[in-house]
Amino acid sequence: MVEPQQSRLPALRSKMKIDDLNVYYGSFHAMKHASLDVPDRHVMALIGPSGCGKSTFLRALNRMHDLTPGARVTGTVTLDGNDIYAPGIDPVTVRHRIGMVFQRPNPFPKSIYENVVYGPKIHGEGNAKRLAEICERSLRAAALWDEAKDRLHRSALDLSGGQQQRLCIARVLAVEPEVILMDEPASALDPIATSKIEDLIGELKKDYTVIIVTHSMQQAARISDFTTFFLLGDLIEVGTTSEIFTRPTDKRTEDYITGRYG
Amino acid sequence: MASVVAAKPAAAPLSGDRARSRRIVDRIATASLWTAASAVVAMLIAFVIYVFVQGYSAISWHFLTGYPQSAVAGGGVGPEIFNSFYILLLTLCFTLPIAVLAGVFLQEYAGPGRFRDLVQFSAESLATVPSIVMGLFGLIVFVQLFHWHFTALGGALTLTLLNLPAMMRVTQESLAGVPNTYREASMALGATKWQSVLRAILPSAIGPLTTGVVLVSGRIFGETAALIFTAGSSVSFGASAYDFNPFHTAETLAVHLYSTQREALVPDATQIANGSALVLLVMVLLFNVVARIVGRQLTQRFTGKAS
Amino acid sequence: MVGVRANKAHRDERIALGFLVTSSAIFVIAIALILAFLAVNGTALFYQDHYSPIAFLFGSDWDGFGGKFGAAPFIVGSLVATGFAILVGGPLGVAIGLFFSELAPKRVAEAFKPAIEVLVGIPSIVYGWIGLTLLVPLIARVFHAEGDGLLAAGIVLSIMILPTVISLSEDALKVVPNALREGSAALGATRWETMSRVLVPAASSGLAVAIILGIARAIGETLAVQLVLGNAAVIPGSLLTPAAALTSEIVMDMGDAPEGSAFRHALFTMALLLLLIAMCLIVLIRLALRKRS
Repeated sequence: MVEPQQSRLPALRSKMKIDDLNVYYGSFHAMKHASLDVPDRHVMALIGPSGCGKSTFLRALNRMHDLTPGARVTGTVTLDGNDIYAPGIDPVTVRHRIGMVFQRPNPFPKSIYENVVYGPKIHGEGNAKRLAEICERSLRAAALWDEAKDRLHRSALDLSGGQQQRLCIARVLAVEPEVILMDEPASALDPIATSKIEDLIGELKKDYTVIIVTHSMQQAARISDFTTFFLLGDLIEVGTTSEIFTRPTDKRTEDYITGRYG
Repeated sequence: MASVVAAKPAAAPLSGDRARSRRIVDRIATASLWTAASAVVAMLIAFVIYVFVQGYSAISWHFLTGYPQSAVAGGGVGPEIFNSFYILLLTLCFTLPIAVLAGVFLQEYAGPGRFRDLVQFSAESLATVPSIVMGLFGLIVFVQLFHWHFTALGGALTLTLLNLPAMMRVTQESLAGVPNTYREASMALGATKWQSVLRAILPSAIGPLTTGVVLVSGRIFGETAALIFTAGSSVSFGASAYDFNPFHTAETLAVHLYSTQREALVPDATQIANGSALVLLVMVLLFNVVARIVGRQLTQRFTGKAS
Repeated sequence: MVGVRANKAHRDERIALGFLVTSSAIFVIAIALILAFLAVNGTALFYQDHYSPIAFLFGSDWDGFGGKFGAAPFIVGSLVATGFAILVGGPLGVAIGLFFSELAPKRVAEAFKPAIEVLVGIPSIVYGWIGLTLLVPLIARVFHAEGDGLLAAGIVLSIMILPTVISLSEDALKVVPNALREGSAALGATRWETMSRVLVPAASSGLAVAIILGIARAIGETLAVQLVLGNAAVIPGSLLTPAAALTSEIVMDMGDAPEGSAFRHALFTMALLLLLIAMCLIVLIRLALRKRS
């Protein structure tokens, strides 16, 4: 097991620290002893071939494995110094502060407005005026306001795939998280929609910490500040994106980057 | 693009009052759902125990085989049990061919179109006809129009109409469970569609089909409202109560339970009712269990896999 | 020789097709005949005996042998009993459907499911018998009344429609894509919040079908309600006084009403009414299903 090259990261404040994370599906050891510091308000890309465990790793960061029967997580994951897996911590509140966008857009079969204000309503916001403000703010932040403002109360399912994904991002933003996890958010979209999402991520990192799983190295190179490489359940290497792609220290990383395996 | 985050509160601790009350609501809701489900299961068990406790003492060989009495105590339900099975058999003779063929047609042959929609709609409509209304239809046609008066055959035909939709749905579902590869393989070997259906597709659906047929049979066995005015509420006297003449009046066990509850002419009506209820319940449970076992066995034999 | 065998196979195919189409046509002919015969016999009261439809539907004076056919007491009885059954059995059935679809671990589901299936199989006459011998005395003791009436009928009907509503609700909920559950959880919703705010609305058309079919079952139920209603041809003042329903009245008096009499015609009119209600429910179901797609 290779120690991740933490010293190559500039001295930035860590928003999240993952220490000795292990994920088991039944007896299958899906993620082995992963440790990582995630710098605040930057984009961290997780790359690696199919089945390397990057999505498994991501889902451990907002306790999504709690929903999978038979899944077990050990180790610590801290947000601003607080371990989210500590006993007594409610996963519901964790997911308030660490949001997630999924690979396939999954808007609820409700109106655009109802989708966006779903989170705030659950968290207790009842004032219609404030909800409307939150809705507009989140849709603007997700670069969807202009396309959505005249059809707020029409079904979200009428939107195109790319628009639905931006709606899902707006939905997450409405909850005002601090970290946004993205699991291959553009892989189901066409190139134009993809580039809109990528531009959006570039804006989002000003205010949020973004961790994005991607199977496209080109995408990682375009949008991320830092990159972590996974292989077969092991975290192999982490560094700034330019370092990982030009001067990887581990041969396995180099083989992946140069296309030896996909 | 302006920053989205205006004035955000300082990093809140990972717990809070609102979160606590939502957690409580979640726990209460979960507990309520568990309670509801367990209560219903417990209720069922209570019913079964109740029926057994009430009816146990009424069961005897004489009860199960003897003739009913009309004025004195000591009657049995032998002819009624016989009639229940006999009418079930008759009903299946009519229902199975029609429903299975129609199910095969809709599932394997019919393309989308007006006839298909019409048949589907007719089946749905037939399924919502209340059983008493179906019984009245049987009264109009078989008892009055055909001048048969109360007959087992009239009852069976009425029950056929009542159960055609269910049986057809059973057929359709079991056919839908057959993988397409069977159909393709059979056609590729040069079989006609009917040959494929008869020799390859239906046999591989035999497990779910049998399970469904036995379950519907259980419902037929317990049917009452459609039979009161078609098969009647009395049995023939003497040995002819046990023959296979479809034109005799044929009170079934379920109808008998109803008539003893409604008009208690004999002094031990309660006993007889309790015993009848028990026999009915046991038969239904048996049908359920047999359906499952036979279905599983047949699937294993004809397809070689466990399900 | 291949040619001869092929011809025979093709001829068999044509014969088979004939049988297949005929069997399917039987469904169409059957429902058509039922509608026709019920329509003819059900309107005889109006055309042959010249009784006013308004008096039939809204009059509360019922005296079969005396020529008075105000069927309002039975219509009200059926509606109240069915309404009770749906108000109690509907939400309860959906809740248990939610239980099976979202909460129950596999082993619990496997243990509980057979119980629901047995509930389906219990003949309605046995439910009526249980209602008469167990429920009615219980109500009599608790409420200091006779025990029979719409409360007893409503409770029995609620129990009888439960299995239908439960299994259809469960099916409707299972079809909702998992992505919606994940999306809701990722936004910080509790499981109950996901169930109530996302899953139930998403499954609403399937749940509506479950409820409508529950209604159909309740309104058509005959013997169970006849045994516990008390059979008084009056609009009941409370849930605890004897009442009557369309189905119970038919089964009570059809045997006594002379063939060809206005009395019998009135009973057939009630049957026609039941049939029309059932048909309306089917239309409602189709509307609900169309809304889904």
